[in-house]
Amino acid sequence: MLAIGIYGLLTNRQLLKVFISIELIATAATLNFVMLASPLGLGEALLILAFSVDTAVSGVILALLVIVSKRYGTSDLSKIMQKMQEKETPEVEAE
Amino acid sequence: MIFEILAIGLIVSAVLALFLEEVVYSVAALAGTFLFTSIIYVINGAYFAAIFTFAVGVGTLAVLFLSGEMLGEKPTKKASPIRTGGLIGAGVLLSLPAIFLSVSTQTTILADVTFGDALWNLRGVDVLLQALVILTVALGIAIVLFERRKKK
Repeated sequence: MLAIGIYGLLTNRQLLKVFISIELIATAATLNFVMLASPLGLGEALLILAFSVDTAVSGVILALLVIVSKRYGTSDLSKIMQKMQEKETPEVEAE
Repeated sequence: MIFEILAIGLIVSAVLALFLEEVVYSVAALAGTFLFTSIIYVINGAYFAAIFTFAVGVGTLAVLFLSGEMLGEKPTKKASPIRTGGLIGAGVLLSLPAIFLSVSTQTTILADVTFGDALWNLRGVDVLLQALVILTVALGIAIVLFERRKKK
């Protein structure tokens, strides 16, 4: 699952899919915490730390996603990069 | 046998969540991923982990459904059943190592530690610091929102 998440993170161009990839990576990590913990209780206690970090990361990513999508009018990474370059080019030419 | 079926379901739903064209279907597949993870936890006796996964999953999915509807772009072409079948096949193939290469867990001196003991005796400071971090984040967001409203 970690490998699937990393592959999706590297190949997907849509911001929501990138977010889903990060969720999959986090799920894989938490699954490892529980399945490979020798005392199950310790694994579950570690899982709470992972979940709180995951939730905080999710909140920040979603906020960034909404801001970027509103600013550039699209959630496609390649289009966003293109628009960013278009914005930067006139400034460089003016200098 | 149940574990193998769940492992296959987990990997297939993860693959579908990533590679389906329509965002809403992807989010539905992600719901499947969370559900399978919770069931695996329950089968292994990790009830607290199952409840946390379910709770966090429901919250994440609700937000993702909303943002998927708001921000998701409609795909230009319809997904073909052949592609979906190929994705499911790829998921089944990817889940084979998880089934055949199982990792055995070792028992240690701490084998009788319960969830409560681990949470409060072994990781008590961590739990308190986490609560502090979350409170600080919540306070920061509240201050930012208050300042923004003040400016308006």
